[in-house]
Amino acid sequence: MKKMSIRNLLVAMTATATLGTAGTSYAEDPIRIGGLYILSGSAATYGEFAQRGINLAVDEINDSGGILGRQVEMIYEDTQGKASVAIQAARKLVYSENVDALVGLDSSGVAQGMVPTMPELQKPLIITHAATPDVTGKLCNSFTYRISVNVAQNMKAAAMVAAETDATNWTTIGPDYAFGHQSWEFFGNYLKEINPDVNLMSETNFPRFGAEDFTPFIDRVMDSDAEGVLISVWGGDLVNFIRQANTRGFFEEDLEVMFTVGAATEVLTALGEEMPEGVHLSTRYWYEAYDNDINDRFVKAYLDAYGNPPSYNAEGAYAAIYAYKQAMEAAGTTDGPAVAKALSGMSMEAPNGTVTFRKGDNQAMVSPNWGVSGPMHPEHGIRTLTNLQIFDGEKVARTIEETGCKL
Amino acid sequence: MSGIGAALLNSLDIGLLLFIIAVGLNIVFGVLNIINFAHGALYMLGAYLAFTLINIAGMPFWAALILAPIGVAILAVIIDRVLLRFIYSRDVADSLLLTFAILLIINESVRMIWGSGIHVVQPPDLLSGSVRLLGSSVATYSLFVIVIGLLLLAGLWYLFNRTRVGRIMRAAALDRDMAEALCINTRLVVTGVFAFGAWLAAVGGVMAAPMRALDPGMGDKIIIESFIVVVIGGLGSFPGALLGAIILGLIHGFGGRYLPEVNLLLPFVGMALVLLFKPNGIMGKGANA
Repeated sequence: MKKMSIRNLLVAMTATATLGTAGTSYAEDPIRIGGLYILSGSAATYGEFAQRGINLAVDEINDSGGILGRQVEMIYEDTQGKASVAIQAARKLVYSENVDALVGLDSSGVAQGMVPTMPELQKPLIITHAATPDVTGKLCNSFTYRISVNVAQNMKAAAMVAAETDATNWTTIGPDYAFGHQSWEFFGNYLKEINPDVNLMSETNFPRFGAEDFTPFIDRVMDSDAEGVLISVWGGDLVNFIRQANTRGFFEEDLEVMFTVGAATEVLTALGEEMPEGVHLSTRYWYEAYDNDINDRFVKAYLDAYGNPPSYNAEGAYAAIYAYKQAMEAAGTTDGPAVAKALSGMSMEAPNGTVTFRKGDNQAMVSPNWGVSGPMHPEHGIRTLTNLQIFDGEKVARTIEETGCKL
Repeated sequence: MSGIGAALLNSLDIGLLLFIIAVGLNIVFGVLNIINFAHGALYMLGAYLAFTLINIAGMPFWAALILAPIGVAILAVIIDRVLLRFIYSRDVADSLLLTFAILLIINESVRMIWGSGIHVVQPPDLLSGSVRLLGSSVATYSLFVIVIGLLLLAGLWYLFNRTRVGRIMRAAALDRDMAEALCINTRLVVTGVFAFGAWLAAVGGVMAAPMRALDPGMGDKIIIESFIVVVIGGLGSFPGALLGAIILGLIHGFGGRYLPEVNLLLPFVGMALVLLFKPNGIMGKGANA
């Protein structure tokens, strides 16, 4: 009998607790945003950095009254860097977690697979990292937006940097999937346009993503006639690549070396002084490139919270939450189609200046940053960027016709 | 010619590191009949422990090379006594499931303890820089990997063929009941073999740390490579692990250098060819060998 009464007590307590939470959740009902990032495996650092940016934005927004008077709540799912997993996760977020909007995607491969399912979900998605031009090009749809620089924009800027050098014979080393191949394709086309005399070598190098040992490819480029090499290897692979290239004397060769995501702060932090000086490095957002109040506040808050300077990925995720705040307040609702519509053509202030989601393809007009690696930063323990160039986002973007997007 | 020399040394460097890792997988299968999915995770733990000892505790690389594998071996004893002992008598599929669970636990623990960021370990001063060999410049550290790989190879051969411990291990692998009847403490042998396999994985991890970036997915990458090695060489075969590792090393070293367009496919083409002609691997004699 005694046992029974304890069980009854527990049931009663559980019931009360459930009622209690149901009651409060009805009264406050937070706005829920789903985050789709790589949270496990080799590239988990990208998911973590995005979460850092989002945490800063959500805390700031919630402390100042939320969106439409409601608090913001994040729910994350791990894409594992796989399109099929990401699609399933997005459906789960929308149908069982009832999120109002989505942010995320780290990989071009994932983005290509997942974006076509967005109209079915009827919720807006802001891509904060994946760079394939296709998602704001031939795969575009009215629910998909991107707040970060895409490959086409960055490679047009890269071609402008490359055209300034003396190198005429160009090759590439990039990961063997959408990102590596598209980087080379866009770079080559733009460079040819600026300078028809350049030679794009047929000997290209596409090692497996996560290859670990890049030495055979490094040797191949060193033995070739290449004068310039575009390297789109990223993340942990890039750390491996640079360390192995250092032991091979790759950077002592007479080569113009351009790293398309070389100024990612997570890579610079891991490498420290091992990142060579005098190579061209790009990033989608360099924390010291922008002199405005929002950037000052963002960089300071990030440094205070995490001790390292913010990465482009954290910045994109941070800005995406503010984009939703502005769009939801403009629409006066969290209804999916209405918020998506409000995002179209919307301009907002972000750490990297004024960001506009272009009507026609929903790609943000943001600036690629290119520079040359310089001396170590005295406090942040990473290489600085010298000769910093901030390219005009609008000028390096393809025209709507070129993107192939029909909205 | 210098290109071929460089590719050859690079293949040996990749191959012998793979050998150190894959041979542990093979010994554990050969003696315990367990396919240890968590082997790559133990390799990763070796690398992260080395990172902690060198970069955080400030120890020299050589101390980490001794201590980190011992630490991982101790953990392996715990895993064996707490979890694996329940499944030794069961079907090999059960060991796959259980060790896969252990892999997930270790992966997530590493991410929680060391974070998701990328870490690097410097090679010791003695082994930094490069030397000229076969007409090309080679990282001194790569030569060190080759030397350690060959030393371990000789040591393992001696252990299994010339020592009493090696004979006991082989006896326990062949017929555990008979070995027990001969007063061999097979429980001790089982634990010892599992710990030894983990020790080898961790040695591979410490060796890899100065040339490869540490991230929480490094174990998953190496376990796939290790499985390709044992498929090519033959599951459970000690010379097979060497042969498989060298072949895969050559596929990576020469494939990347001379056939970069298909480098992604080559390991799988190699594996498929072996499976076609020798379904048990080149040195494999079937699952009970």
